Amino acid sequence: MINLIVILISAIMLALLLVWWRWPAFRVWIEAPKYSMLRRERRFDDQITGTRTGNELFVDGGHA
Amino acid sequence: MTTSAQNLTSRNERVINTQTLGALPSIEYGLIRAHVFASLVTLVISVLFGILVATKFTFPEFLGGHGWLTWGRLRYNHTQGIFFGWLGNAFLAFFYYVVPRLANRPVLSRRIGWFLFWIWNFAVVLPGWVLVAAGFSQPLEWAEFPLVVDAFVVLAFILMVFEFVLPFLRARLSDLYVSAWYIIGGIIFTMLAYPVGNLVPELVPGARGAAFSGLWIHDAVGLFVTPFAAAIAYYLIPATTRRAIFSHFLSLVGFWLLFFTYPLNGTHHYVYSAIPMAAQKGAIVASVYLGIAVILVVTNWLLSLRGSSGTVSKDVPLRFVWFGVVAYLVVSLQGSVQALMPVNRFIHFTDWVIGHSHLAMIGFASFIALGGIAHLWQRIPGTRYNERMMNWSFWLLAIGLTLMVADLTIAGLVEAQVWQSSAPWIDSVRAVGSYWLVRTLSGLPILAGFVLFWISLVTGPKLSEATKSETSSEASESVVAFENASPVSDKLSSTGWLSYAYVVAFGAGVGFFALSFLVLAILPGKELEDEIKRVAPVTMPMLTASEQRGRVVYGREGCAYCHTQQVRSLAADVRRFGAPTEPWETKYDYPQLWGTRRIGPDLSREFNLHPRDWQLAHLYNPRLVVGDSVMPSYPWLFSGSPNQPTQEGLDVLAYIQSLGRARQLSGFDRQTLASSVQFETADMVMASEPSARATPPVVPIAMVGGYSLSAPVLHPASDPDDLQEEVSRGRTLFAVNCASCHGSTGRGDGKASASLLPKPANITAARFSDERLSSVLWNGVAGSAMPPWRQMPTEDLRALVAYIHSLHVPGAAPSTQDVKTLHEGKSLFGANCASCHGDTGAGDGPAAGALAPSPTNFHLKKPTEERAWDVLENGVPGTAMPPWRSQLNADERRALVEFVRSLYGPPQENSTQ
Repeated sequence: MINLIVILISAIMLALLLVWWRWPAFRVWIEAPKYSMLRRERRFDDQITGTRTGNELFVDGGHA
Repeated sequence: MTTSAQNLTSRNERVINTQTLGALPSIEYGLIRAHVFASLVTLVISVLFGILVATKFTFPEFLGGHGWLTWGRLRYNHTQGIFFGWLGNAFLAFFYYVVPRLANRPVLSRRIGWFLFWIWNFAVVLPGWVLVAAGFSQPLEWAEFPLVVDAFVVLAFILMVFEFVLPFLRARLSDLYVSAWYIIGGIIFTMLAYPVGNLVPELVPGARGAAFSGLWIHDAVGLFVTPFAAAIAYYLIPATTRRAIFSHFLSLVGFWLLFFTYPLNGTHHYVYSAIPMAAQKGAIVASVYLGIAVILVVTNWLLSLRGSSGTVSKDVPLRFVWFGVVAYLVVSLQGSVQALMPVNRFIHFTDWVIGHSHLAMIGFASFIALGGIAHLWQRIPGTRYNERMMNWSFWLLAIGLTLMVADLTIAGLVEAQVWQSSAPWIDSVRAVGSYWLVRTLSGLPILAGFVLFWISLVTGPKLSEATKSETSSEASESVVAFENASPVSDKLSSTGWLSYAYVVAFGAGVGFFALSFLVLAILPGKELEDEIKRVAPVTMPMLTASEQRGRVVYGREGCAYCHTQQVRSLAADVRRFGAPTEPWETKYDYPQLWGTRRIGPDLSREFNLHPRDWQLAHLYNPRLVVGDSVMPSYPWLFSGSPNQPTQEGLDVLAYIQSLGRARQLSGFDRQTLASSVQFETADMVMASEPSARATPPVVPIAMVGGYSLSAPVLHPASDPDDLQEEVSRGRTLFAVNCASCHGSTGRGDGKASASLLPKPANITAARFSDERLSSVLWNGVAGSAMPPWRQMPTEDLRALVAYIHSLHVPGAAPSTQDVKTLHEGKSLFGANCASCHGDTGAGDGPAAGALAPSPTNFHLKKPTEERAWDVLENGVPGTAMPPWRSQLNADERRALVEFVRSLYGPPQENSTQ
C-alpha cells in the first residue's frame, strides 16, 4: 500500500511538472494569483493611506 | 477659513477616492483586536503554565500540594492553551484581516464572528483549562480537553467554514492565492480530522486507538498549525516586500504535498511499536516526503525574499516571519530524520523530541503568528506597535528559544545514551537535571519576549508616518508588469478546463485525506483486530471496577506523559523492561495510554514489580523511596499519610499493579518461547518480523518476576587500599540509592521506613555473607519493597557490598557457644522453626516456598544478639515471622538466639534460597 502512495504522489507531482513545462497557458494561469493578490493588497493600502489621518471612513468595528 | 476649506477639500478627495475604489470589502477590525488581545492573554498564561511545568523538573514539590497545580494537569493546559488559546486566536485575528483582502469579499457575518469569538474563548479555552485543572480531561496528546469541549471545537470549525471559506466560494475567483488555499484547506481538514482524532481513540482500544491518536498528533500540527502559519508567511512576504512571491506554482505544489503527506506522518510516533510495520514504514516514507515538500516551500519563500535582506532587517514583522521560515526548515528536516529507524530508536521518548516540538510551536508557528499580528497591527486603524519594544521582543524570543532547543537536544542525547546502557533509570534523570534547570531558565526570556510583544502593541504611536509613506509611495514592479500584460482570462479562453482544476484538486485532497485514515488507521486497525482475535489468551482478565477507576485517575494526572506503556521491539527496551508490548495486551485499553515520552520508566510490566506499600509511599511522595525522583507527589490521593490512601489512591494502586498482569498470568511467553527461536539483540529484525516481537527477553533488567540463578557473587576487594576505595564509593552509592529506605546510617530508619511493611532492614544489625548481599542486590527481596539493583554496574554493586560489610558492628559480648545451650536451641529450632527456616536453618523449610519474603537463611545472615532477641520477642511485622514471646520462655528464646547465630557460614548440607 505504501508503495502505491509513493508512486501516486510521485506521479501527481510529475504530471504537474509536465503540464507546467509543456503548457505556457497553464504557467500564466497558475502564476496569476500572486499578482492579483498584490493588486488587491495595493488597493487596500491605498484606501488605508487615504483614510489614515481621519476616522470618518471607519465605523465602529468595521470599515465603511 | 483657508484651513477649513483645505480640510473640506481633503475630505472630499478622500470620499471620492473611496467611492472610486468602491467595492473594497469591509474588515472586522473589532474582531481582529479582540482575537489579538485574547491570543496574547492566553499566550502569557500558557507560557506561565509551561514555566511551572519546567520548574517542577528541578523542584518537584514546587506548588505540588494540590491537584489543580500538579505537573500533569499543568502540562495539559500548557499545550492546549498554546494550541487553542494562543495560536487559535492569532490565526483567527489574521483571518479577519486577510480573508477580505484575498477573497475581495467581507467575511460572512460580524455576528457569527463574535459568536465564534465567545465560543472559542469561553466555551473552549477557558472551560477547557478549568475542567482539566479540576481533573476532567482526556489523556490523549493534543486532545487533552474533555469531550464536552471538543463538541464546541467542532462547532467553532463549522462556523469558521461559514465565516472564512464561504466568502471564497461566493467570490468564484479564478485566481485564488496560495494563502487562501492554506486557510480553506486548514479549516476544512481540521474540522474533519479533529473529531476523528479526539473521539475514535475513546471507542477503539489500545494499539488500534494509538494508530488514530498518532494521526491526530501529527494532524494537529500538520492540518491546523502549519497551514495557517504558511498562509501568514505567503501573505506577509509579498505584502511587505511589495514583490510577488517567486513561484505560485511551487507554492501550490508545496501545498498539496503538505496535505498529501502530513496526515500520513502520524504513526512515526509509534515506530518499533505493536502497530503493524507496514503502517510504520508508510509513516516513515511520508515523513521523508514531507521533508522534501518543506524544502520546496522554504526555497520558494527564501527566493521570494531574495534581494530583500534590508527589508527583513528593518521590518520586524517580516523578520519574525523570516525566523519562522528558517525554523520551519530546520524543524521539518529534523522531523524527517527523527522518523528514520536508526535515529528514532535512540532519540524517541527523550527530551530531543521536546526540543523539536518547541522549535516547531515557538520557532516556526509562534514566530510567524507574531509576525502576522505585528504586520496587521501596523495596518489597522488606531493601532501601531512600539518598534523598539518589538525589536527587543524578537531578540529575547530568538535567544531564549535557541538556548531551549539546544539544551533539550543535548539533554535528549544524554538520556538516550543512559537508556542504552545498563545504568538504573534514575541515572538518566540525574544526568539531565542541570539541563532541565537551563530549560526552565531559557523559558524566562521567552516569557519576557512575549510580554514585551504585548507591551509593544499597546505602547505604539497612534500614527506611523513611516508606514504611511511606504505604503503610498512604493509601486510594485511586478504588479505593474502583470497589469501591463493581457488579462489571464484571454489566455485561458482555449483552456477553460483549468477553471475546474480547483474542484478536481480539492476532491483529490479530500480523497487523499480519507486515504490517510484508511492506510494508517483503519487497515492497521483491522490487521491488529485480527491478530488480537487470533493470539489473545482466552483467559485474559479484564480490569476490575477499582482498576478501571484508577485508570481514569492515572489519565487525569498525566501519568502517561512521563511513563509509557509500550515496550518497543528494541533490545535496549527489552533488556530494561521485558517483553515487547503485544497488541492483545491493550485489548481493553479505552483510550490507549501508550505515551510518547519517558521521564520515568515504562510501566507496562509493573505487575509484581513493586509491593503495595512501596507503591503507596511512592505515590504519596516519590522522594521517600527514590531519592532523586522528579515525579510529582499526589497527597490528595491520601488522608495525611502513605498508610492512609483514599479510595482514589487505592484505585490508582490497583491499576498500576495490574499493568502486565495479563501477560504474566496467561503463559503467553512460555507458549511463544516454545514455538520460536531465541533472538539475539537484532533490533531491525525484531522491528520487521512480527514473530520476533513475541519473543520474551532473557533477563529483563527491571523484572523481578523470579529469582535469578545467574546472580554473581560479589566479593569486595581483598587489598586494604582497594577495599577502602570500594567502601568510600559504596557510601556514596548507598546515600544516593538506599538511604531513603535504609536510612543514612543503614539502621532501616529512612524517610520511607514509616510507610513500608516489612520495614527496611537494619543492616547494621546483622552480618551478611557476600552471597546473601549479592543475591539481594541482584534480585531484590520478594514480598518487600527492596527492588532488584542488577541494572547497576557490577563494580557499583561490589562497592555496595563492601560498604554494607563496613556497617556491621560486631556485638560487644561474644556468643557463649555453650554446647548445652546450643543443643537445646537446636532442639527448639527443629520443633518450632524448621518448617519455615528448614532443618539446617537455610531458609528452605517445607513452608518457605509459599512465603514472601523468604525465611532467613542463617548460613548467609548472622543477626546481632540484640536483633535476634528482638525478632523472637516481637516477630517481623509484614512477614510470616510471628512473635514467640508467649510460646517460649526467656531461656528458650536465649537458646534459640545462640543457636541461629551459630549457624552462620557454609551449611553442612547444600541448600538454596
